[in-house]
Amino acid sequence: MNAFNNRAALAIAALAGSIALSLPAAAHHSTAMFDFSKTVEVKGTIKEFQWTNPHTWTKVDVEGGGSAAVEYGLEGMSPNYLSRNGWSKRTLKTGDKVVLQVHPLKDGRPGGFMVSVKLADGTMLYNLPHRDDPAAAAAAVQGR
Amino acid sequence: MPRGKSNVNFRIAIAVAVLGVTAGLAGAEAAQPASAAQWSKLASLPDWTGIWEVDWANKRGIRTPRPQMKLTPKYQKQLDEYRAAQKVGENVQGEAANCVPPGLPGIMTQPYPVEFLYQPGKIVMLIEAYMQFRTVHTDGRKHPEDPDPTYMGHSIGHWEGDTLVIDSVGFTDSTKIAGGVPHSDQLRIVERIKRVSPDWMEIQTTLIDPVVLAEPFTTTSSYRHLTDDIKEYICLENNRDGADEKGRPSLNLEK
Repeated sequence: MNAFNNRAALAIAALAGSIALSLPAAAHHSTAMFDFSKTVEVKGTIKEFQWTNPHTWTKVDVEGGGSAAVEYGLEGMSPNYLSRNGWSKRTLKTGDKVVLQVHPLKDGRPGGFMVSVKLADGTMLYNLPHRDDPAAAAAAVQGR
Repeated sequence: MPRGKSNVNFRIAIAVAVLGVTAGLAGAEAAQPASAAQWSKLASLPDWTGIWEVDWANKRGIRTPRPQMKLTPKYQKQLDEYRAAQKVGENVQGEAANCVPPGLPGIMTQPYPVEFLYQPGKIVMLIEAYMQFRTVHTDGRKHPEDPDPTYMGHSIGHWEGDTLVIDSVGFTDSTKIAGGVPHSDQLRIVERIKRVSPDWMEIQTTLIDPVVLAEPFTTTSSYRHLTDDIKEYICLENNRDGADEKGRPSLNLEK
């Protein structure tokens, strides 16, 4: 492994560690079904955005690189938390083209936890406080 | 039993029941409504308006590693077994995943805010997680002799300067004091709550349970001030998460 890859691996490990530490111990549920040590990027089209408790749920048709699209189911934080951090029920609309960072399901089914979403206009939105992105971190701190 | 006697007994039973209801109503009527003086006294209490969200992302930057509970040998052994089962995928998901609220103490450290409402004689906490509430009696009453068990327990509170001190007892066996750690009917929880700055509140929580804990266990959590209202949180609205009886997780993708 070259130095760059090594640093990237360390950064990812640190990020995973910081997220794991920042997740509350006694929240609605543990993250046991997700692989928080892995982050995968997928591109797709929003099929449905469910603005519901205890979690938002996003159905995305993920591009299969030539083969047919696969529907992913992605858990996100709750409307309660997200509405205090810049999201609304209108944040994701059916038909939106998005790029998603996902902690995949451990059991291999098409789904996982949505870490972040990049909208077509370049807007980045995060599900968890994100220290690597000053604007998002500031927004989270201000509780907008 | 002769019919006549049964009738008499039945009448007596009704009379006793009616008397009981009447006495209950009389008791309720006897309670005096809060006076203007009692309401105005609340103005001298510390201002905790707004809502308070536990600092789960450590934005305050002062969090230290969580101390370890010291358990009595029997419960340490239970915890060791609980942890051993985690290595084979059990005990990694709790009943909260099925929308069962955790009760005290866990309900106070959910990643959702709490609001404090003052009334003469009581403080009510609105807890966003699972849409829960707590009543803390501040009218000087004592705990009941042998309280019926509840998730939040029976809470009495008093002010020590700007610090609200809450003492709670009477918890149902359904609650845990930590993952894999149950409690006995002797559990007592003491909370000391203080707004330490415009932006931050601290809650120091001490768990006392001579059956399970070898010594009292104290933690302190920070809560950030937000200007907002408590929001609705219906856990069963669209819950796809779950835990089976062995604490194995599930996630429903099908709906």
